[in-house]
Amino acid sequence: MCDVQAKLIPWLDRELSSDQAAGVDRHIKGCQECRDRLATYRQVSETIDFYCDAVVAAKGRRHLSQWVPVLASAVIAAVALFLVLPQRRVGPPPVLTPTAAVTSASAISVPLPAPHPAEPATPKMIHKRHAVPPVREPALKWQPSETAVQIALPADAMFPPGAMPRGMNFIAELSIAPDGSVQQVRLRE
Amino acid sequence: MSDDSLPLALPLLRLASGSSEVTTLYRELRKPLLRYLVCLGLSSDEAQDVVQDAFLSLQRHLASDGTRENIRAWLFRVAHNQARNRQSSYHRRFSEPLESQMDFLADHPTPEQRVLEKEKFRRLAAAIRLLTESERECLLLRAGGLRYREIGEVLGMAVSTVGDTVERAIKKLAEKCNV
Repeated sequence: MCDVQAKLIPWLDRELSSDQAAGVDRHIKGCQECRDRLATYRQVSETIDFYCDAVVAAKGRRHLSQWVPVLASAVIAAVALFLVLPQRRVGPPPVLTPTAAVTSASAISVPLPAPHPAEPATPKMIHKRHAVPPVREPALKWQPSETAVQIALPADAMFPPGAMPRGMNFIAELSIAPDGSVQQVRLRE
Repeated sequence: MSDDSLPLALPLLRLASGSSEVTTLYRELRKPLLRYLVCLGLSSDEAQDVVQDAFLSLQRHLASDGTRENIRAWLFRVAHNQARNRQSSYHRRFSEPLESQMDFLADHPTPEQRVLEKEKFRRLAAAIRLLTESERECLLLRAGGLRYREIGEVLGMAVSTVGDTVERAIKKLAEKCNV
């Protein structure tokens, strides 16, 4: 093994003084073994560069790919909200049966809000078919007044906003049995 | 490799668009610093943080009339020490296999070339993991373009020791990788 081999890597890295570098230059022109070793060291150096670039590229891609599912989920959620919410707003008003209204109200007496001054009702807001007509059936069994509970239901709670004129309310009269269950419901304006 | 492999954090974007001495150094040294830190085992986010902190330290250093000699080694030393402070995660991530994320090798035109490159990468990664810590750090700093004197300043080693360590590491890799 020739003595110059120890200087090959510093020579490759330009770490030798000019005199030493000139000596190595002269030597490798006539030494096949040193030229081969030099080629090997050069190739290893290039491979390390390749490795470093590859690691940076791989971690950079992983960095971006971490956000892809999050962004995709956010986009899907936004699209779903965009599609679903307007449908709810313009959909048909829910049909409340007296039983459902009673279940949700659960015997809480809500004070009747003061009626608004008479406003000219806009024709497009009134849909008489959704109004619940007063029940007047004397034939039905009706409990004494002391067992009845009155609940004022704002029209907005039963119909979509704008479906009824402002200030319109309904009174639900509940007839409560001794065991606490609802026996009868009367809904009137 | 593109200069934009790792995205810029917002403070770094401001630094990149300025015109001060620090900005010039930033444009020159950001990429080698990031590459060194990522190859040491930091994640790209951690490397961004460390580079940002290193340049903020440099700004304070220059503002307080600190020495302007060999700023490159100074920056690498600051970044290296900060990376060391994160060493608990550093070891875990360095041993994390990157083979599963070698999608970047898919750019090769033929499947044979792709397989060869993957195999080359796998062998090199395994060989680099077998090096001692100082050998690995010397090689990575050398790959970042630092001279032996600068590597010695970063790692606190004599120049002759750096030369010996680099030579030993390259010979080990040549042997392991059958280059």
